Amino acid sequence: MEKKRILLVDDEASLTRMMRLNLERTGKYEVREENMGSRAVETARQFRPDLIFLDVMMPDTSGDEVAAQLQEDEELKNIKFVFLTAIVTKGETEPGGGEIAGRTFLAKPVKTEELLACIERFVG
Amino acid sequence: MVSVSTLHAEPVPDTVLMVDDNATNLQLLYQTLDGRGYKLLVAKSGEQALNIAARAQPALVLLDIMMPGMDGYEVCERLKRDPVTEKIAVIFLSALDDTSDKVHGFHLGAVDYIAKPFQVEEVIARVDTHLKIHRLEQDLERRNRQLEILNDRILQAMGEGIFGLDRKGQAIFVNHAAAAMTGWSESDLTGSDLLDEKADGARMPMAECVTPSSLTDGRIHFVDTASFIHRDGSRFPVEYSCAPIHEDERITGVVVVFRDISERIRTEAELKRSHEALQKSHQELLDAQMKLIQAAKLESVGRLAAGVAHEVKNPLAVIQLGLEYLSAEGEGDETEVLVIADMLNAVQRADTVIKGLLDFSREKELDLAVDNINRVIDVSLQLVKHELTQHNIRLFRELDDSLPDLDLDANKVQQVFINLFMNAIQAMGKDGDLIVRTTIQDLPPGDSDLPSCEFDEAQQLICVDVEDTGSGISDEGMAQIFDPFFTTKPVGQGTGLGLSVSRNIIKLHGGEIGLDNRPEGGVVARILLPVNKGAKDGKETNTAG
Repeated sequence: MEKKRILLVDDEASLTRMMRLNLERTGKYEVREENMGSRAVETARQFRPDLIFLDVMMPDTSGDEVAAQLQEDEELKNIKFVFLTAIVTKGETEPGGGEIAGRTFLAKPVKTEELLACIERFVG
Repeated sequence: MVSVSTLHAEPVPDTVLMVDDNATNLQLLYQTLDGRGYKLLVAKSGEQALNIAARAQPALVLLDIMMPGMDGYEVCERLKRDPVTEKIAVIFLSALDDTSDKVHGFHLGAVDYIAKPFQVEEVIARVDTHLKIHRLEQDLERRNRQLEILNDRILQAMGEGIFGLDRKGQAIFVNHAAAAMTGWSESDLTGSDLLDEKADGARMPMAECVTPSSLTDGRIHFVDTASFIHRDGSRFPVEYSCAPIHEDERITGVVVVFRDISERIRTEAELKRSHEALQKSHQELLDAQMKLIQAAKLESVGRLAAGVAHEVKNPLAVIQLGLEYLSAEGEGDETEVLVIADMLNAVQRADTVIKGLLDFSREKELDLAVDNINRVIDVSLQLVKHELTQHNIRLFRELDDSLPDLDLDANKVQQVFINLFMNAIQAMGKDGDLIVRTTIQDLPPGDSDLPSCEFDEAQQLICVDVEDTGSGISDEGMAQIFDPFFTTKPVGQGTGLGLSVSRNIIKLHGGEIGLDNRPEGGVVARILLPVNKGAKDGKETNTAG
C-alpha cells in the first residue's frame, strides 16, 4: 500500500522534526517538513500531501492565510488540513482533532497518538 | 449703640423760688441771692407758689411757713405729693424756732430749715449747698436712669436668654430672649421660682436643672447640654452658663445665660449623617477600586496566559514528542524507562498549568444549551468516582428532581463541579463525607456569608451546595480564595486557578459562587444560578411535545 503523505508546517523546526520522526517510525507515512509559512503552498504543490498539519501562529504567513490560499487553489483545494495551535486547550479538542467553526484543531503540545488518530480519521 | 452723651447736659442756671407773704422779706431774700447766678422767682402766697413751681420747675424753694391761707407746710406737702414737683428741694424759712416745727418740716420732705431773722451768709451757704446737692442728685438720678436704660437695652438686645435668680431661685430679671425662648412673658417669669413649679403645676423653665452650684461655690459654671422647659411643657436643649452675683462679698444670686441649641444639635446630627454617608461612599469607592484592581489583575493574567501558553507550548510539544520517540526507539534499561516516564509526566504537569491559565483567560464566551444542572452534576460525579473510592469518601447526593432546566454551558459548568469536588476530596484526604445538594429558592438564602448578589426579586434561583467534612479554610485563606494563583495545596498539586476559573464561569451564567466554613467543620461551596424564564418555558414545551 502506498504510504500516505503528510506535510508538517510549523516555524519551529525542532517540533516538525520530532513529529516527523514519530510518524516515520510507524513506517506508514512519508513526511515532509516546511518551516516557512510563506513557502507552505509551494511545498504542498510539489509534495502533494494527503494531509497537512498547519501551525496557526507563524511569523511570516499565518496558518489561516495558508489555509485560505490552499482552498483558493484549484490544484490544492482538496487537500485536507488540521490546525495545530497553542491557543486552544485540550478540553476544547479531542484526540482526533476538535472542530471549531468548521475547522479541525489539535492542541499543542500534541502527542503522537493524537497525530495518529487524526491522520486515521481524515485519510485512513 | 446707646449714646450716653446726654449724661452731661448743658449747665442751666438754677432756679430758686422764694415764697413769703411779706414783701419786705421777699425783697431782702431777693437782694441776698441776686447776682449769684441764680434765676430768681417770687411768690407771695402758697397758691401762687404751687402754680409757679409747677410751671417753672425750680430746683429749690425757700418757703415761709407762716402765711395766710395756705401755709408753708401745706405747700410743701402738696409739692411733694405732685410727681411734677416732688423733686424740688424745699427749705423752710420761719421765725418759729421750735424743734418740733423743724421735725415736722423734715417729715414733710424739706431738706433744711433757716431761722428768721436770717443771716445773709447762712442763706447763701445753705442755698448753695442744697442746690449743689440737688444738682448732684439730679445728675445721679439721670445717670442711673441712663444706665438702667443701657443695661436693659443690652439685656434685651442679647440673643441669649438671661435669667437673674436670687438665692431662692426666684427670677429678679428676665430678658426678652429668655421669655421668647421659654414661651412665658417677662412678667410671668419675674418673681417666679424658675427652678420649680408654679402653684398651678406649670413647670418653670429650669425645673429639671439642679440648683446652680454658683450659689455655693461662687464660681462660674458652664453646662453644655441641659433641658429647659417651655411653657407648653415641651423640653428644648440648651447650653448655659451660670455666674454668681456678688454683693458686699455675699453671693446674692446668679445670672444664667442660655442658648437654645436645637439647631446646633440638628446641624450636628445632619453633619454626622452626611459624614457617615461620605464615609460609606468612600468605602464603596474603595471597594470599587479594589474590584477594578482585581479585574485589571485578572485581565493582565489573561493576557499573560495567552502569551505564556504560546511560548511554552511549542517547546513542551518538542519535549513531548522527543520523549515519545526515545521511549519507543530505545530498548533502554529500567532506569531509562523510569526517567522518560517522569519527564513525560512533568510535561503533562506543565501543560496542565498552562491549560489552567488559558481557561482562566478565555472564559468569556459560553456555549449555551438547555440542560439540567442535576445531569451535569451526575456527569461530574461520575468523573470523580474513582477519586472518591480511592479516598474512602462517602457521597450524599441530595438532588431536587423538580429543578427547572437552565441555559448552560455544560462543559464549563462540569469543569466547575469537578473543581469543587476535587477541592473537597483534597481537603478531606482520607475518609469523609461529600454532600451535593440542589434546591430551588425563591429568594437568595440570606443565612451566611455565602453569595447573596443582586438578583431580580421575582427571580427563582437554583442553589447548589457542595459540602465536605475536611479541615476548613482559615480566615486569611477565605479572603483570597478566589484570587488567581491562590492555593492551599502542596506545590505541584494545584495551579491555584481552579476557583477563579470557576467563578468566571458561574458569573458568565449570571450566577454567584461563594465559600464558607460550616459550623460543624469543613467547607460549603454554594453556587446560585438564576432561573431564566426561557429555559423553563423550553422545558414545558419539551414535556408537552
